[in-house]
Amino acid sequence: MAQSTRGQVVSREGTGQIHENTRGSKAVKLLLIGISVVFLVIMLVLPLITVITESLKKGFAEYAASVTDEDTKSAVQLTLQATVFAVVINTVFGLCAAWAVTRFHFRGKKLLVTLIDLPVTVSPIIAGLIYVLTFGRQSAIFPFLEEHGLEVVYAVPGIILATVFVTFPFISRELIPVLETIGTDEEEAAAMMGAGGFTIFRKITFPHIRWALLYGVVLCAARAMGEFGAVSVLSGHLRGKTVTLPLHVEILFGDNKFMPAFAVSSILVVFAVIILIVRSVVEYIGRVKKNVH
Amino acid sequence: MYIELKNVNKKYGDFKASDNVSFSIEKGKLIGLLGPSGSGKTTILRMIAGLEKPDSGQIIIDGKVVNDVPASKRGIGFVFQSYALFRYMTVFENVAFGLRVQKADKKTIAPRVRELIKLVGLEGFEDRYPSQLSGGQRQRVAFARALAPNPQVLLLDEPFAAIDAKVRQELRSWLKEMIAKLGVTSIFVTHDQDEAIEVADEIIVTNSGRIEQAGTPIDVYQNPKTAFTSAFFGQTAQLESYEAFKSFQEVGDYDKAIVRPEFIKITKKNEVQKYKSSAVEGIVERVEFRGNYIEFTVKCNGSVFTARRELDQEPVSVGEVVDVFIYRIFVTKGNEVRLVENSALREESVVI
Repeated sequence: MAQSTRGQVVSREGTGQIHENTRGSKAVKLLLIGISVVFLVIMLVLPLITVITESLKKGFAEYAASVTDEDTKSAVQLTLQATVFAVVINTVFGLCAAWAVTRFHFRGKKLLVTLIDLPVTVSPIIAGLIYVLTFGRQSAIFPFLEEHGLEVVYAVPGIILATVFVTFPFISRELIPVLETIGTDEEEAAAMMGAGGFTIFRKITFPHIRWALLYGVVLCAARAMGEFGAVSVLSGHLRGKTVTLPLHVEILFGDNKFMPAFAVSSILVVFAVIILIVRSVVEYIGRVKKNVH
Repeated sequence: MYIELKNVNKKYGDFKASDNVSFSIEKGKLIGLLGPSGSGKTTILRMIAGLEKPDSGQIIIDGKVVNDVPASKRGIGFVFQSYALFRYMTVFENVAFGLRVQKADKKTIAPRVRELIKLVGLEGFEDRYPSQLSGGQRQRVAFARALAPNPQVLLLDEPFAAIDAKVRQELRSWLKEMIAKLGVTSIFVTHDQDEAIEVADEIIVTNSGRIEQAGTPIDVYQNPKTAFTSAFFGQTAQLESYEAFKSFQEVGDYDKAIVRPEFIKITKKNEVQKYKSSAVEGIVERVEFRGNYIEFTVKCNGSVFTARRELDQEPVSVGEVVDVFIYRIFVTKGNEVRLVENSALREESVVI
């Protein structure tokens, strides 16, 4: 009895507080929404509209010409190539790293986790420079690379390397918390029944991390496509060879070719929109699935 | 002996989880590994299962040393404390998993799974996911899943810990019946003495990584062999000095004198009593209604202990002076324990 009375008192006090808070909150609510909207319009919507209108200023024919230009095509191809490499390599790396960190005890685990985050904290330009120093002419391994005909700096491998570097935390960062939450019970149970490592991963672990992995892939792809700094340092800006979409936009802009620059930018915008849609769908399905299980 | 542990040791860093553990279990028995948290009972279970490797010593199952046999090859069913059901599989798939990974004949899988689902009384739930089941139902699925590959040994880690009291009671008797019916040698871990006493054929008491005592529930409860066991079972209290209570013979040097509520008789001043001359006075400190009995604490000769009275007896109140008679006491010295009976009881029998 005593307990239930106390409970009632507490809940009455609780609702009272909420009422008091809500009284003054209408203005606050409008203000906060207002700030967010204005901010988004200035920072995002206006530039986006500018990109679209600028790129279509001289008519659709001109736009089509700039978009289908040889250099642009090659830039699109290289961007997609780097993105695919980054996604594939980082998926493999991300799975391995997340598994190692959450399933094994070893020395230097904290260090590994910290290192995984490094690309987020280090400026991409510096990352680019590190690779130039590591694989460039002044490097100790350059003679070896030259001997085997491996070009890294100012070549496609360098661009892929830079893209992989800046995107490598994305997938493992998504997987580690999920693997930590699910624990090892189910895996142990499966092992006890005689399931091998791969069967356990495929049938037990993978269903848990499926959506997190896909989300990580989406984030990784988005970041890979937009990467500028590190790629810029390693690219050497050889048109039609080592120029990705963001670099191509910069070159066109630098040459005062504004309309083509905006036209090429719009391709990136389209990619971004596609990724946003995929991301929302993945998030939605992931949430629905989570509610079922 | 079907399962035997010989001088098994296991350390986690500096912590001795198993300290020279030896015991043996007969085929078909249901064994309760009982001990407080951190006493090493789960470690023993996980070592038998093959989920942990002992640092030294032998684990023998069916006459074969299995130390180097991987968990999956030991023919053991394991029910995890959290059940560890596969959340992304239906009840049917959960139970079928063990058979599938062992490449059982496809035609035999479905009938076997149905048989087990029927056995645990979950027909009609085959297509549900674990999240759509209650705690008790999940436990039954875990049980069916562990039994599907026809294990020779079934291990259960705190099988009732995650279930509410009412269902727990049902499940205990259900599990006991089921295991007796199947005749599979089973070991379950628990920290709950009532559960161990009620369910197990035999209890193995663990404490700080050691085996304290093994025997039938009656045996370990009535005849504790170590200081730990004597204090562990029942709602025990320690007496400051047992000599202050009347008509106990001297036992010489001792460490602790331990009493259980059933060792104590409390009589109100106005009630007739048999051992009036051997009783001492005590003061009631707290009275609690426990449903089918009244429990209260009494302070007497500087010691505080718990006693009980039936509901149909006249109630006692806080502060009341009552007569306290103690039938028997466990007296410990080092790790030895002996039962000391009140000599008034013996005199009585001599008179008759």
